Amino acid sequence: MIFLFIIIPLLLAGLMPLLGKISKRFLPDLLANATMLFLLVFSVLSAKPLIAHGGVIQQAFWFGAPLNIRLLLDGFSLFMLFTISLVSFAVTLYSINYMEHYGAKANYYALLLVMIAGMNGLVLTSDLFNIYLFLEVAAVASYALVAFGQGHDELEASFKYLMLSAVASAAILLSIAVIFGLTGGLSFGTVASGLKMLNIKYVVGFCSGLFLMGFGLKAAIVPFHSWLPDAHPSAPAPISAMLSGVLIKVSGVYAMMRIFLNVFGLTPALTTVLTVLGIASIFVGALAALGQNDIKRMLAYSSISQIGYVILGFGIGTPLGFIGGLFHLFNHALFKSLLFLNAGAVEQSTGTRSLDKMGGLAKRMPLTAATSAVGSLSIAGVPPLNGFWSKLLIIIALVQAKMVILAVLAVLGSVITLWYYLVLQHNAFFGKLNETWKSVREAPFWMSAATVLLALLCIVTGLVFPMVIHSWLQPAADVLSGGVAVALNFIGF
Amino acid sequence: MNPQNLSIPILVPFLLALISFLLPARIKWLRETVAVLGAAAIVYIAVTFFGQKETFYVLPWLGHGIDFELRLYQFSQFILLAVSGFVFLITLYSTVRMAGDPRIREYYGYLFLTAAMASGAVLANNFVPLVFFWEGLLITLYALITIGGKKNSHRTAVKSFLIGGFCDFCLILGIAILWSQTGTLRMSDISVVPQGLTAVSFYLMMIGAIGKAGSMPFHTWIPDAAVDAPVAVMAYIPAALEKLLGIYLLARICLDLFKLEVNSQFSLVLMTVGALTIVLAVFMALIQKDLKKLLSYHAVSQVGYMMLGIGTAVPIGIAGGIFHMINHAMYKSGLFLAAGSVEQQTGTTELKKLGGLYRVMPLTTLGFVICAAAISGIWPLNGFVSKEMVFHGSYETGYTIFTIAAWLGAILTFASFLKAGHSVFFGPRSQEIGEVKESRSPIYIPILALAGLCVLFGVYNQLPLKLFIQPILAGHAAAGEHIDFTAHALAVFNPIALISLGCLLLALGLHVFGFRRGGNKAYMASEPIHRLPILHTLYDWAEARVFDLYEQGIKFLQALSQFLFKFVDRPIDFFYEKIVVAVGRAATNVLKAAHNGFYANYLAWSIGGLVLIVWAIGALLR
Repeated sequence: MIFLFIIIPLLLAGLMPLLGKISKRFLPDLLANATMLFLLVFSVLSAKPLIAHGGVIQQAFWFGAPLNIRLLLDGFSLFMLFTISLVSFAVTLYSINYMEHYGAKANYYALLLVMIAGMNGLVLTSDLFNIYLFLEVAAVASYALVAFGQGHDELEASFKYLMLSAVASAAILLSIAVIFGLTGGLSFGTVASGLKMLNIKYVVGFCSGLFLMGFGLKAAIVPFHSWLPDAHPSAPAPISAMLSGVLIKVSGVYAMMRIFLNVFGLTPALTTVLTVLGIASIFVGALAALGQNDIKRMLAYSSISQIGYVILGFGIGTPLGFIGGLFHLFNHALFKSLLFLNAGAVEQSTGTRSLDKMGGLAKRMPLTAATSAVGSLSIAGVPPLNGFWSKLLIIIALVQAKMVILAVLAVLGSVITLWYYLVLQHNAFFGKLNETWKSVREAPFWMSAATVLLALLCIVTGLVFPMVIHSWLQPAADVLSGGVAVALNFIGF
Repeated sequence: MNPQNLSIPILVPFLLALISFLLPARIKWLRETVAVLGAAAIVYIAVTFFGQKETFYVLPWLGHGIDFELRLYQFSQFILLAVSGFVFLITLYSTVRMAGDPRIREYYGYLFLTAAMASGAVLANNFVPLVFFWEGLLITLYALITIGGKKNSHRTAVKSFLIGGFCDFCLILGIAILWSQTGTLRMSDISVVPQGLTAVSFYLMMIGAIGKAGSMPFHTWIPDAAVDAPVAVMAYIPAALEKLLGIYLLARICLDLFKLEVNSQFSLVLMTVGALTIVLAVFMALIQKDLKKLLSYHAVSQVGYMMLGIGTAVPIGIAGGIFHMINHAMYKSGLFLAAGSVEQQTGTTELKKLGGLYRVMPLTTLGFVICAAAISGIWPLNGFVSKEMVFHGSYETGYTIFTIAAWLGAILTFASFLKAGHSVFFGPRSQEIGEVKESRSPIYIPILALAGLCVLFGVYNQLPLKLFIQPILAGHAAAGEHIDFTAHALAVFNPIALISLGCLLLALGLHVFGFRRGGNKAYMASEPIHRLPILHTLYDWAEARVFDLYEQGIKFLQALSQFLFKFVDRPIDFFYEKIVVAVGRAATNVLKAAHNGFYANYLAWSIGGLVLIVWAIGALLR
């Protein structure tokens, strides 16, 4: 049953180009949205009860014979599935209007579905090699999607992204090969037990370094972040939302944390490295965002900065830190995709991404301005919106772990975040209406619907955050806190 | 009576307020019918409540002694009756005077809300509901002043709100101290001798009470409101309701909550503030050139008599103070309504522009003259009786200086009303105003009704004294023993009354003198006093609001905020605006230069990062 998370999007991805021959718009729109809605509902209604008593493993069969493909569904992976489905649903909703002028909608949806299948597979798999496999599936789809506009910049950015990703893949594959050589297995359980018996901390340290580089490149952690500000803005807005909203978290943060926490086990050395990298990302991303004039570039740098918070939260290694990191990951998925979608709406209406040329758009695009304000305030950590609570949890966790200096720095980073988001809001939406945009129109219905949905989620999540933590984050954090024992439990399978 | 009925006097006006807010603005006749009938119902309720036995109604609320408790007894019955009477008269008056006001819906709504709050404040027997209703009055007052719609209405409303807020803050602080000392919030359970902390509490609560009544130095919004608020609101709130409530609370403070000794420091303080209020406010009233402003200063000055009376702590003085409260509410409300009638017909209340109106507005003139005579203390009107009682009371304490101050006030009161009445209603017909008719009946009926009550309460003074005042004092054993109102011979022929009447003659002389000196212009009659050497300077300062604590406070705060802005805020701002921004920009520029888009560069960072991380992990593992 868990297989449906991968099979359905893959099947539809295969069907899409064929459907595109029959119906250029209607059927692809309908089916893509229906799929996402199904996955969203499925993850809440069916998958959630399944793991009420801990994680489950499901084995694939081929004509009765068991295959060496096992999927692991636990609190952490379900939480990621839910996040992916939620953002994907908003994105496909938005694409109904937005992708009109790109043409080839069926192909677009096909690529998007492949990417989603890859991500779903990545979060469900229970062995190292499949992590690599699904990572590549999602990545290849994303290269094509970044270049979807087929302009000069898009192709260049896509190429740069591809080249650095290749380096990341190489590092990950190398590390997996070393581990396979040492332990003779690839599934989480085998590797964890194998490493436990061997006393080879320096080799594990080296592999950790390789994973950090590989997944760090995927997650755009400083100093591996440099491809992101080129790649994310070049993609069509819904894809930017997808990439910044979920892809970097799934293929970067999720994979890294799954391996570090459940397979290798978190060591003090890793804690130190992760927190330092987190803080570095927060500041490099935030300060670089401050200097941007291109709205989507600013958002892209901001992603680096916010991923820094997520990594920082995980890196603390305490249960509260995990909750803070997970919550921020979820919140960032909501508001960053919201902000990218809004940037796309503005770009579509005005034809520019330059903040200098905008101004006073709130008068012409009130809904976009309002939802964007919600997103900006959330990401800047203004109470009672969701971003405030997740940052607060991370900061409290830092203080509890006696990392007071890092806590102060995290607050400072939040101030800079507020700074550049105010710049963004002010330059784009507030102030006097630029004469050029006198006849600009509000975004079409489905685009507004998607942004309003996300903005409402930002507000609601902020208001009922104890409930969110209790029902979604706590099970995920429990898996992370469980450490290596979680993987060892599944050895028998 | 059924205890649950006690909430009716609060709920009925509240319901009427809701209806007034919700009725569409267009249905004029319906709103007015509802308002007048509703006000009549309020009067009916108050009448049926009058004379009932003491009743308590307790509704458990927040715990910790904070309950919603109401108490109906002689004093609250009486105030309830008075409040309802004013609600009815003002409503009647407003049907004509406020007709066509753009915010008429809100006006009636707040009018009834004020009535509900006032009833609640009077009935409350627990400090917390008392404060709740007390504060509610502040809000409705704010709203009612803004309905004036003048240029400064909002400013004045804010002023009234802040001054009232300060006084109420003192009240709450006093209550808190009293609570901590006595351990209860039930008003009827408290009776302490003020000393130490409770003395502080007494003074704080006193500020709350006299601030509501509009005593100096908390009066300054009243003359402003006279110009900026609708005249019906002036007649309703500062002239009537606030006096009733403020003096009610003051009487409760001095009679029940605290045991006030004759000639104790508390009594002296209260009498001093009262005497100063009488004299200073009447001096200001004397020179006013506008009828409404003149009346508003008198509304302040008369509070002094009530405070002086209650402050004596002598039974006759207390009785006089409370009697003066109801008398003042009647004639001052009547005077304001008369001023409103004049304003309605002529479009102005400036003394200079008016004159000889008695021919065209005989009924308004009659009402005004009776009320003016009553406030001036002319025998045999009600003002004479209550002032005599205050004079007697203050004389009994042995501090004759207070009696003299009261007499001085009486002289100037009469002089200023001679001037006002003479300028407006008598003398030659002014050329500046066109054709004038008498106002319509809903306007003059309330005026005449109030004037009639002034005569009634004066001539048959035993009636109100026996019916209202004696039961109130009888409830307070300490102050109420054996008050024989005839013992002081409230007749004309006793030395104190003769001196009072002599004062009136003096005032007449002053007026005639000033009238002659001013070239037979009545509005110039106060000029000789205005131009006295030192007084003149003081008057100029007062006109420039030098003595207005509120305005001075505002100026001080403005200066302080300027100072803070220049020497604290700007440097901090400079730090953020210049230094922080510069540092941020510099860092940004470095990062921008680093992200130059070269693939080799980015790859080098990644490899460098890997090396660093592996080295760091290796070093940390050691």
